[in-house]
Amino acid sequence: MILLFVSLFSFSVNSNAKSITLGWAAWDPANALQELTKEFTAETGIDVNFEFVPWPNFADRMLNELNNKGKTFDLLIGDSQWIGAGAVYGHYVKLNDFFDKEGISMNDFSPATVYAYSTWPKGSENYYALPAMGDALAWAYRKDWFDRPELKSEFKKKHGYDLGVPASWDQLYDMCTFFQGREIDGQKRYGAAINTERGSEGITMGVTAAMYAWGMEYENPNKPYDMEGYFNSPQAVEAVEFYRKLYEDCAPPGHSDAYMVANLDAYKSGQVAFQMNWYAFWPGVSKEDSDGRVSGFFANPKQNVAAATLGGQGISVVKYSDKQDLALEYIKWFARPDVQQKWWDLGGYSCHNDVLNSPSFPTSTVYAQGFLDSMGIVKDFWQEPTFVELMLPMQEAIHDYVVNGKGTAKGALDKIIEEWVEVFEADGKL
Amino acid sequence: MSVKKKFKGLSDKAVAWLFIGPSVFLLLAINIYPLIYAIRMSFTNFYANKIGREPQFVGLKNYIKVLNKEAIWEKMQVTANFMFWTLLLQAVIGLGLALLLNRKFKGNELLTTLIVLPMMLSPAVVGVFWTYLYNPQVGLFNYVINFFYDFGSFDMIGSSELAPWSIVIVDTWMWTPFTMLICLAGLRSVPNYLYEAAEVDRASKWQQFIYITLPSVLPFLLLALLFRGIENFKMFDMVVELTSGGPGSATELASINLKREAFEKWKTGYSSAFAVILFVTIFGFGNVYVKVMNKIKER
Repeated sequence: MILLFVSLFSFSVNSNAKSITLGWAAWDPANALQELTKEFTAETGIDVNFEFVPWPNFADRMLNELNNKGKTFDLLIGDSQWIGAGAVYGHYVKLNDFFDKEGISMNDFSPATVYAYSTWPKGSENYYALPAMGDALAWAYRKDWFDRPELKSEFKKKHGYDLGVPASWDQLYDMCTFFQGREIDGQKRYGAAINTERGSEGITMGVTAAMYAWGMEYENPNKPYDMEGYFNSPQAVEAVEFYRKLYEDCAPPGHSDAYMVANLDAYKSGQVAFQMNWYAFWPGVSKEDSDGRVSGFFANPKQNVAAATLGGQGISVVKYSDKQDLALEYIKWFARPDVQQKWWDLGGYSCHNDVLNSPSFPTSTVYAQGFLDSMGIVKDFWQEPTFVELMLPMQEAIHDYVVNGKGTAKGALDKIIEEWVEVFEADGKL
Repeated sequence: MSVKKKFKGLSDKAVAWLFIGPSVFLLLAINIYPLIYAIRMSFTNFYANKIGREPQFVGLKNYIKVLNKEAIWEKMQVTANFMFWTLLLQAVIGLGLALLLNRKFKGNELLTTLIVLPMMLSPAVVGVFWTYLYNPQVGLFNYVINFFYDFGSFDMIGSSELAPWSIVIVDTWMWTPFTMLICLAGLRSVPNYLYEAAEVDRASKWQQFIYITLPSVLPFLLLALLFRGIENFKMFDMVVELTSGGPGSATELASINLKREAFEKWKTGYSSAFAVILFVTIFGFGNVYVKVMNKIKER
């Protein structure tokens, strides 16, 4: 009876405690944030509950919540492409006044991340998020295989240059085909685990890594939303054709609907020489390779230009939250340079200049320099409020061409433009 | 007596309404109202995610757009192929299994239980674990096929030729037991004296099957196929987990496309029109089918 009374009493105490709920994707950085947040709770007494949603359902779950004006989340770490919808449809609280009041300056954060994660309209000084997690698509490779003398000499003999970090996509292809079907330590290995996922954004994020490197632009810089000749330029077509070649000649069997976790699994299980993935996963990969012997990391290789697909997220306060004051308190705490340093130390990717510009940063991890390089060359998909409507036709058309082998690259890009024009027309942009 | 006391003062009609009232209310609230709302929305340019933007009446524009869109017809074709092959295979194999299990042999009950197990699983779970079974490197499916004939490495889910078959195989594996159970019920309802009379008339086993078994079991089989047809027309979860509608759009059924248009692109007006068209299609086919089935039963 006494125990019952005590437990009931403690429940009522807990339920009265100050708490907020933070929503994000379920992945390694989320666990790091959970760890970091313990200090926030210790300092402020505010409990932070976390709801982490698996990536394939992340956008569906969160965007449905926002569209329904749900109060589940007080804070949301939403994808960079959501910022347009968050601002235009009023899902996110505009943070300018709060930043001014608390002395939080966006100049303290990496300009690329402020542009990508915080502003709407793009490049304006209207801030709807604090850059929380810098990220870009990059590559990991099996350094231990690359270091084998017999493989090095065989590769050099065949291609006339050293087996190492590829300087271009052409070199990447050479290396991938070199490992494709090769037996190493009694097991058959393959070239590269690349993004081919159909359902959410996987293949788009993968193919754009090639398209950006070939110099693709989404639209005419002088005439917004004029995509003809830009998105389907000869360079863009060549990049998409190349991506298909990479898939056909270098991916492991059955890698036809693969994204983050599948790429990671293929790499960790020793199937492939390369994996394409987000920087967010490198701390995990690196942790299992403490002496740095097995894995190496590098930024997206250039082809015609140096460019990388942007990932990452900003943290926003949800407009429908009843606890906006507590949520803002969390953002204030999170923006502190000392917290940002701890965030990086725990495996999160800080966007704060104090962390990134520190002299020790490039050597702090084996992937830190690559991260710095990547964040200087990132490009993102459309961040329009209609980004989902823009993403889906691209997913379908690119998957149809790259994985299904249907039609031509030019045909796929033309089809995407056709659908995008329809979306922009419906949105009153055209 | 106690019931009479309880409802004393209420007319028979009132008592009847008391019983059916909750069901009617739920039917109206959950089925009829959303249907009418969807029909209304189908004549507008409503986007559910565009807050504050009032929907405008656009007449039949959405319907014309749906019916003129080549991609929609591709999805309908994928759906039709899926339905044709799954229903055909489930009818043939289900009836075959029912005939087998209608015989008395040792272990009959155990075998029946094992056969019906797949239909008790969640379609989403089935979709997920078949992705592993179909894995070209470690999947059991490829191993078994290659055991009988060495086709080498083939990717059931990643190939546009094989992917449509991959979903047909899984649906057949999962739902043939349902057809089998209904057919088995039909077979067990055939009176034995019909076979005894046929034996006396020196009818062969084949003649007994054609003139007694098949006509008796046919209404049951057709009923099972009606249920499966309706279910497969709106098939979603298993296919999404297995192929996500890919590769490309090779396995994107109409229902998957509808979900993407409605809840990912948020084209509420357009997708309502598409939903109404799908509803009318299945309702129309269902009605014709039921009429044909009744005629067969009357014969």
